[in-house]
This record gives sequence, C-alpha cells and structure tokens, in this order.
Amino acid sequence: MSEATTPKRILVVEDEDNIAVALDYLMSREGYEQRRTATGAGAVDMIRDMHPDLVLLDVMLPEVSGYEICQNVRMDPALNDVKILMMTARGSAMERRKGLAMGADGFISKPFELKALRAEVRRILAGDSLSDSDPAPGARHV
Amino acid sequence: MFERLGLRLRILLFFGLLAIGAVAAIIGGLWAGFARSGLDSPPEAMVLGGLLASFAVVALSVWIWFLFDHNVARAIDTLASAIRARVHAGIEHDLDAEARAARYLGDLAPAAEAITASLIQTRSALAESVARETTRLAAEKSRLETLLADVPVAVLLCSADHQLAFYNGQAVDILGEGGAPGLDRNLLDYLREGPVRHAYDRLVGAGDPDMASDLLCATVNGARLLAGRMRVLRRREEGVAPGYVLTLRDVTADIAAHTRRDALLTEIFDRVRRPAANLQTVIGVMSELDGRGDAPDLSAALLDEVATLTTAITDLGARYDLVQAEWHPVVNTRSTDMMDGLQARFQTQGLGLDTAGPAMILQVDGFQIVAFWSWLAGRIAGQGLARNFTLTLSEETGPGAVMTLSWHGAPLSVGDMDAWLAQPMSADSGDLTGHGVLMAHGTEAWPERGGAGRGAVTLPIRSARHAGQRPAPIGRKVVYDFDLLSKARNAAVADARLEDLTFVVFDTETTGLTPSSDSIVQIAAVRLVNGKRVEDEVFDTLVDPKRPIPQASTLVHGVSDSMVVGAPDIVEAGRKFHQFAQGAVLIAHNAPFDMEFLRRQEAAIGVSFDHPVLDTVLLSAVVFGQLEQHSLDALTARLGITIPEEARHTAIGDTVATADAFLKLVPMLRARGLNTFGEVVAEVRKHGRLLKDLNE
Repeated sequence: MSEATTPKRILVVEDEDNIAVALDYLMSREGYEQRRTATGAGAVDMIRDMHPDLVLLDVMLPEVSGYEICQNVRMDPALNDVKILMMTARGSAMERRKGLAMGADGFISKPFELKALRAEVRRILAGDSLSDSDPAPGARHV
Repeated sequence: MFERLGLRLRILLFFGLLAIGAVAAIIGGLWAGFARSGLDSPPEAMVLGGLLASFAVVALSVWIWFLFDHNVARAIDTLASAIRARVHAGIEHDLDAEARAARYLGDLAPAAEAITASLIQTRSALAESVARETTRLAAEKSRLETLLADVPVAVLLCSADHQLAFYNGQAVDILGEGGAPGLDRNLLDYLREGPVRHAYDRLVGAGDPDMASDLLCATVNGARLLAGRMRVLRRREEGVAPGYVLTLRDVTADIAAHTRRDALLTEIFDRVRRPAANLQTVIGVMSELDGRGDAPDLSAALLDEVATLTTAITDLGARYDLVQAEWHPVVNTRSTDMMDGLQARFQTQGLGLDTAGPAMILQVDGFQIVAFWSWLAGRIAGQGLARNFTLTLSEETGPGAVMTLSWHGAPLSVGDMDAWLAQPMSADSGDLTGHGVLMAHGTEAWPERGGAGRGAVTLPIRSARHAGQRPAPIGRKVVYDFDLLSKARNAAVADARLEDLTFVVFDTETTGLTPSSDSIVQIAAVRLVNGKRVEDEVFDTLVDPKRPIPQASTLVHGVSDSMVVGAPDIVEAGRKFHQFAQGAVLIAHNAPFDMEFLRRQEAAIGVSFDHPVLDTVLLSAVVFGQLEQHSLDALTARLGITIPEEARHTAIGDTVATADAFLKLVPMLRARGLNTFGEVVAEVRKHGRLLKDLNE
C-alpha cells in the first residue's frame, strides 16, 4: 500500500478490455487513483489534462502506437515528471531497447505475473532507476 | 639398282662409262685400221697415237666429271640437304651460301631460295599465330582457374570410377577433414557413397548430358551435410565411361538452424497446449459451478496453470528472440566497405554523408543495410529534415554494435518512421520493406535525439567484432589433370606402367641416425600423379620427438627444440602421413632409413606402412651403374636438378629434389626396357647387394 497522503494517479492506456478491467481492479487495490483510455489517439492530450504520476502504456494501440505517445510525452517539458511503464505482448530485447530509447521508465512483457507488475509500478513511482537484477519475467534487461 | 645409288656416284659412274667407252672406241678404231693395213705388228706411231688419244679422253672425262661433280652433283646435294634442314629442323637463315655453290644450275638455286624463304615466312607466321593463340588460351585458362577457385561452392570433376581429376579450394575446405583431397584420389573416401553412386547411375542411365541431378550427401565421418548437383560429362572416348562434375555446398549450418527452429516450434506447441487445455477445463468447471455453495476452490489450480503458461511463453519468447536472425543468410561484412558503398549511394541521391567509427566486421546482409540507410535518408530528406548526414558506428559491450544516422535538424517522429517501415523501400528492392530488413537482422530501429539540435535514427547490430588486418588472401588454387578422366586403370601394381602409378615421395628429418633410439622431427612429402608432380598437394609437418634434439642434428636440418613445441607427435603426424600416402607407391632417397623410422611406430600409430616402395638410390644404381656416387647431391647434379641452398637438407627441399630426380629417371628406365613397376623392382633386386629392397 502506498503511504503517500494523496494517492498516486495512474493512467492506463490499453485497448484490450479484459486486461484493462483486471488492471483497473489491481491498481485500485494498490490504492492508486486510476483512469483508463482505450485508444492511442488523444492519449497525449489526456495525459496533459490529467498529469498522472504514471502511465501504463500498451505498445500496440489502434491509430497511434505506444512508442509515438511515449515520444510525444517526452518531447513536452511540462510532462517531465510523468513516469511511463510500457507493456507489450511481443517484447524482444530489441523492442525493449526501443521503448527505453523512446523515454519509457520501464518495460514489461505480457504475459506478466501480477507480482512483477506490482513491483515494477512501485519501483517506478518510488523513482528508482532500472535495476539489472530485476528477477521478474518479461522485465529482462538488454 | 641405280636408283639406290647417290647422285654423285651415279654421275661418277656415268663419266667412267663414257671414258671407258671412248677409250674402247679408239682401241677398236685403231684395231680395225691395223687389220686392214696387212702389217704384222701395229706401227709404233699408231700405238702412241692411240695411247695419247685414250689419255686425252680419260683426262677430259675426269676434268669434266670433276666440274660436274663440284658444280652440279655436290651443289644439288648441298641444296637438297639445306632445303631438308629448313623443312625438318626449322633452321631460319636463308640459302645464300648454298645458292652460290649452285650458281651453274640455272634457276634451280633461285627457285629453291624462293621456296625456302616462303616456307620460313609461312612458318614464322604460323608460329606467331600459334604463340598468340597459346597466350590467349593461357589467359583464358587462368581466368577460368580464378573463377573456379573463387566460386563459393566446391567444384569437383571425377572420372567414372570416382577418381578426382579437378578440385578447387572450397572442396579442400569441405572435404578436408578426412585428409585433404588430392588428384586421382577416390571421392568415395570423402563422401558416403550411396547418394553419389545413385545419382551417377541415374544420370548415365538417362544418357542426357544436359540433365543434372540434385543430391544430399554426408562426409564419411558424418560431420558435414552437403547439398550438391551432379552433371555427367559428354562421353568423349569409346569404352571409357564418362566422368562427372559435382558441385557441393555445405548445408550443415542451414540444416542445424532449420532443425533448431523446428524443435523450438514443436516445443512451443507442446508447452503452451497443455496449460491452455487445462485452463480451459478449470475455467469451464468454475463457470458451471459458479454460485453453488459446495463448489470446490479451483483458484489454486487456475493460478498454477497460468504460472506455467506465463513461464513457458516468456522462456520460449526469449529463445525465439535468440534464433530469430539465424535463418537469414548474413555474412561477415567489413564496416568500411559498407560505409564506402553508402557514401556512393548517398552521393547518387544528391545527399551528403560523413562516416565515423571503428573498422568492424558486422554480421549483416551488407546490401540490405546499405539499401535501408539510403532509403531512410531519402525519406528524411523528402520530409525536409536534412540533406547532410553523419553515420556513426559504435561498439557495444557484448557482441553487438550500433549504427546511428544523425543530422542537424528536427528529430523524426516515431509514428512517421514506423509507418515508413511498413512500406516497400523501392522498386528495385522488390517487396522488401524496412521492417523486413529489421526482421531479417533480428533488430529494431528508432528515432532519437542526437544531441543539441540534432535528430538521429539508431539501428543496433546484433553481432559485430573488431576488424583485424584484412587476412592475407588464401591460396585458393584449383588443382587438376584432365588426362585422369580417360586414364586406364591397372589393377596390379606390378603390371602398371610407372607413369600410371601414383607416387608419394617423402623425406624425414630425425634427431639422429639410429632408428632404435632416435625419432622423427619432420616429415615432408609430395604426390606424383600421372607422371607429374602436383604442385599444390604437399605434406609438410614438424613432429614433436618428445625428446631433445641434439645440436648436431639441428645444424644439419635446422629443426630446433623450440620449433617443435606444439607440433603433433609421431602418432598424429604418422596417421596423417599415412592418409596422404594412401594408395600410392612410396619413394625416398635411401628409403630403408626413412621406412625403418616409420615402421617402428606402426603399432603406436595403428596403421601399417605396407606400401610398395622404390628407392632412388637403387634406381640411380640401375641407371648409372653401381660404381657411381648415389648421394642425393650427386644424383641431382647428374640430372641437372638444382636444390636451392636454403632448401638443402630441409625435408621439403630434399623431397622435391628426389621427386624431380625420379621423374627424370623414369624415361631413362624406359630406355633400358624397364616399363612396369614389376620390371623395375626385378631389376632393382639385382642391385640388392647395394641396399636392402623393401618390397620383399
């Protein structure tokens, strides 16, 4: 559970409803305040409006890809403190590199264990840098 | 019978006959006059007159004969032999001297001069065109040799009984594991025979020289799988079965990659199907039992199966990631070559390119990477972002490298770039998309900020290493002797002519002269096939004698203790030498010495050196007589062979000298009526007192 007085705010950008529902539930359980959008288009505007602490960003989105959203967010200096955790169903080492190069703070491959996702979210929100000894499956380092 | 006599003799006889006839006529005339005169005895004046007249006639005949002989008969003879000399011996200078001698023969001398002049002219024109043609053929031959040496497949030419008549450098690489291939060796000593025989029989049966047969075969030890194509040559001689051309490609790695992919695919289904099926059952039961109070708790089973599935997918995904680029043919590409190519491509597109970074060897398809960057730069320029670029290659920790294309100007949007990557690059690269290039190389490319005010695109290369010096070109020669294709084979060595046998001439250097206590430090050998020394089939190895080499021996052969460090021992070197000498007659100068050293090791090596043996010392004794010197120096000096000073007493130098001496001895033996191996050995035995014969 987060010990912050104001709950951290998380935006989930995910087009698949099934996993979005689960993520909603999970993030609420963790005590985060969360919202969700199902499309890539308009996601950047939504991030600007909401200014969340963390964006859970799927790579494969209709219209605008997660990479592009990530790049656009990073190009806006006002959104510097918005953390991004990218999720992908492919997740080769090279894709991971691409995601981190786009400015993501973390990269997690689907399928992932909830434990691993929880740990990754906590790590990013705490402001830790990427650790090499991350044991979580799907969060393999290059 | 007069036809058989020479011209000069005939003329002499002619004049002799004339003189005798004239003298007889004078005597006859005088005798008739005397008979009518009624005198008892001829008057002295008459006898004197008759004698004078006879002398005058004889003298005149002799004088005229002499003139005739000198100016006609001898002149004709000289002219005739001069013409013959020009016809048969190819003498080039004209007939001046002979024509002067024949000046009284009317037009004969000028006519002969004219015809020889024209003969000489024709002949030199012919010689010139032959020389020109020979040069052209030699040039063509060397071009073909280069071509065949450089084609990236093994090319072999074999006779019908699978004896090698031609092979190139790639064949040495592919077949080399069981001992390097050699002329007149049997292909089936290197390849398993089934597919080769089958393909050959099929093609010969079909009788169509344009037909080719694809085959897949393995090396004898099974270490390599080869894909090949066989084509049977046109039958050139009656009674000789046609040979064939075989090209081979090593597909071991391809097939291994294929097999790994197959295995991975099978494993993926295996490991995903079971948990998926289990999940479906568990979830089905759960939804049926939903809401019922007595429902068992299936969530543990559920979580368990999901964990299995997740682990499987993560694990298999990582493995797929590793083998992803394996299937695509990539080659070692020198980065500097690629950068040069890129600069040229950029230039033709009207774009500027600077390159930077270390020289590396990248495992890529150079053409695709060059096409990718020039296409991408074209798109970036098309968007008006930049026209001048810098391409930087940098090393990464691990096996990879990164290529970065950067420019002064705004960075590229990842959305734009991903959209471009999905489109075909250009008309001349077909359907190939940027994405296809990245897939083939198992990588990704993305835009980045390249520092202050710069845009960049990054492309990681999975496998790269530092480039060393360009390796010295390997002597990739082709080795051939096409006469082998029609060579008749004799089963019995004893009945075979010397020219038809394959010989291995060898020499050993040792730690000393006592076979029981000394050891071999070097073995060198060359092969003689079809009466010629095969330049490129050389065996030359140092041998670790496992004991110190005495200083005195090192002074003779130049092999020192430090040189044999890391060299094979006699067991390994002996086995390789045995392989090299397989099927050949062994020749050495003073063979008993070398053979004794080898035979003492037979048990250790596990082979026996039971080859037929010839000794050049004994052959020299047969040819030059026992009283001559038969040292290698004396023999080669007698045969006009020079051993370069630096090669003297080195194993290979002495071997080559012995081989050349043997080749010169063969025609001399033949001149003595010794044609076959059996005849030579029988003759040599007569000299057995000199040295022990080893063929007993």
